[in-house]
Amino acid sequence: MRLIGHRLALYALTLWVAITVNFLLPHLMPGNPIQTMIGKLTGQVTPQEINAIRLSFGGGLNNSLISQYFTYIGQLLHGNLGVSITQSATVSSILISHVPWTIGLIGVSTIISFLVGTVSGALLGWTRGSRLDSLIPTATFFQAVPYFFLGTVMLLVFASNLRWFPVLGAYSQNLVPGWHWAFVASLLRYGELPVISIVLSSVAGWMLGMRNMMITMVAEDFVLMAIAMGLPKRKVIMAAARNAVLPSIANLSLAIGLVVSGALLVELVFNYPGVGDLLLNAISGQDYPLIQGIFLCITLTVLAANLLADLVYLLLDPRTRTEVAP
Amino acid sequence: MTTDSMGVDDVVATEVPPGALPTTTYGPIVATTHGDAAMGERILDVRNFSVDYGWGENAVRAVDDVDVHLDRSTVLGIAGESGSGKSTLVYAITRLLRAPGVIRGGEARFNLGTDDEGEHIIDLVNASERELRGVRWSSISIVLQSALSALNPVVRVGSQFEQVLKSHRKDMSKDQRRSRAAALLAMVGLDEDRLDRYPHELSGGQRQRIMIALALTLDPQLVIMDEPTTALDVVTQREIIGELFELRAQLGFAMIFITHDLSLLTELADEIVVMYAGALVERASARELYEAPRHPYSLGLLNSFPPMHGERTELTGIPGSPPDLAHLPTGCSFHPRCPYAMARCTNETPPLVEIKGSDRSVACWLHVGDAGVAVPVELSRVATGTKKFDPATEVAR
Repeated sequence: MRLIGHRLALYALTLWVAITVNFLLPHLMPGNPIQTMIGKLTGQVTPQEINAIRLSFGGGLNNSLISQYFTYIGQLLHGNLGVSITQSATVSSILISHVPWTIGLIGVSTIISFLVGTVSGALLGWTRGSRLDSLIPTATFFQAVPYFFLGTVMLLVFASNLRWFPVLGAYSQNLVPGWHWAFVASLLRYGELPVISIVLSSVAGWMLGMRNMMITMVAEDFVLMAIAMGLPKRKVIMAAARNAVLPSIANLSLAIGLVVSGALLVELVFNYPGVGDLLLNAISGQDYPLIQGIFLCITLTVLAANLLADLVYLLLDPRTRTEVAP
Repeated sequence: MTTDSMGVDDVVATEVPPGALPTTTYGPIVATTHGDAAMGERILDVRNFSVDYGWGENAVRAVDDVDVHLDRSTVLGIAGESGSGKSTLVYAITRLLRAPGVIRGGEARFNLGTDDEGEHIIDLVNASERELRGVRWSSISIVLQSALSALNPVVRVGSQFEQVLKSHRKDMSKDQRRSRAAALLAMVGLDEDRLDRYPHELSGGQRQRIMIALALTLDPQLVIMDEPTTALDVVTQREIIGELFELRAQLGFAMIFITHDLSLLTELADEIVVMYAGALVERASARELYEAPRHPYSLGLLNSFPPMHGERTELTGIPGSPPDLAHLPTGCSFHPRCPYAMARCTNETPPLVEIKGSDRSVACWLHVGDAGVAVPVELSRVATGTKKFDPATEVAR
């Protein structure tokens, strides 16, 4: 228990550092959003109006960075992420409308990819040297092909030419979004091709990692013991896989942390509404509040995923539970 | 089946060229014989056993035409340096040899016991996975050198017993399994609370005791000890060996004890075989071997370790290092390191032959009657029959 408290404190510290860096980062970008906005409006507005715009951004840049920082922290604690400059909506509402799409698509793909890769990797490691090994170069090929190319080709061949899958978007445009069967079915149908393409392009990593760990584990004495004990083959494989999967669990947590940052290329290729696309627009529009909101969101998920991985690891590997003497 | 890649032949594709299979004259399992005197109390009979690592041109012969046998409730010691093939031999016999190890020929028959239908003998070399699973642990168990790596690191000690009992004693209840595990721990002098520990939380001695308790879970007829105490300090080593022999006296299992410590072996084995470069070079009773070794290599091994009892002797060791199995010297493999090598040793391989007038054998030209060479005095002593290792007094000390 003390161990978990220790970790939590460490995570709180990391969170604070991340928020501070998050606050400072946009300020390091050249230019600032008010200048950009004024630039766009030059000739259309009077100097009084320009001044009004300046003031409407909270007194603008006359405040010191330090006081801005404390205001920022204060607002964060109240759950206020500010208002987007480019999209005239609160950052939280924009995030709420985009994040679920990304989590749904990338999250599901990541989990499928992890499961498929880990299970096949375990089998490949166990049957090393068999004909199944030819799966590895195949999987690696798909990972090596640049994603936008793979995605575009798949879209062209399977959706556009063969018409096995719908072409663009996240759901049929004829439907009203909501929790009814037709919409959910359409959602799944439109998700198929993006999910397949992501799994194809990412499964090799899981597969190779698991296979290599499995090969190491199979050579361990405790696996030999399991065989010598006359345990059923299924149990012997499980004993090896149980130990081999530990590094993959750590990697999974990192991958889950990155789910929210989205896969920009996937979203662009399949015209999927998600965070990647949102972030790209926010950066090109110098939309500080939105950029900060997205980054904060990503930071939080990465931290949460890491914490989760830490806890799962404690559960799975008793050796990590040993407490260091105070 | 000549390959046994970790006991999973059908999954692991270890390609064996046709023709590598040994031909046997009897079926794979349960050949019932009646009153075969030669197999009377014999539980393990291994003949002409050869093991290679690799296939085809790259094959390296790790065990070459070895015969060993073991009687019920006796201890067979296998001695030799690293790379002499002692572990390979035993792992191959029990079909635990990992790829690229391949059994190239020979027989290994294990006597499962006698009932109304006669003796049940299993041919280990040709047994199927299923048949092997029936023998493993319930008849033949094994204790490995490093208990830390032999125990699954993420599984509690109790669960390791649980796994074995669940697989082999399906009628046992959870409580029965637990109390069996506790009783086994008590046998090796450990408290029941160790069952809730993970292997990394225990000391080396405790872990090795747990390995021994695990090996005895199903009351096997044969326990194989692969250098069980090499990783421990000398004091713990003595304690554990003392306990082991007490347990053997109680339970009556036979043992194959593999070690490079010939001196230790002479105190606890009934019979000892000495291996060098994959071949047996000497076979004798422990006392005879200790007091009157016949092969220069056995003498060298004995002089490499301090004796446990008796007068002080100078430790001399054996000059040189074990040969590369892929490029064995011509003639007797040991001749480049042998202080008594003769011209004949460089080009003729000595066969393992019985010494006239005794039941021991040696593979050395010095002891072949027609050699016409004087046998060195160190190798011609007569065994006098002084006291043997007694585990009971050993523990008391």
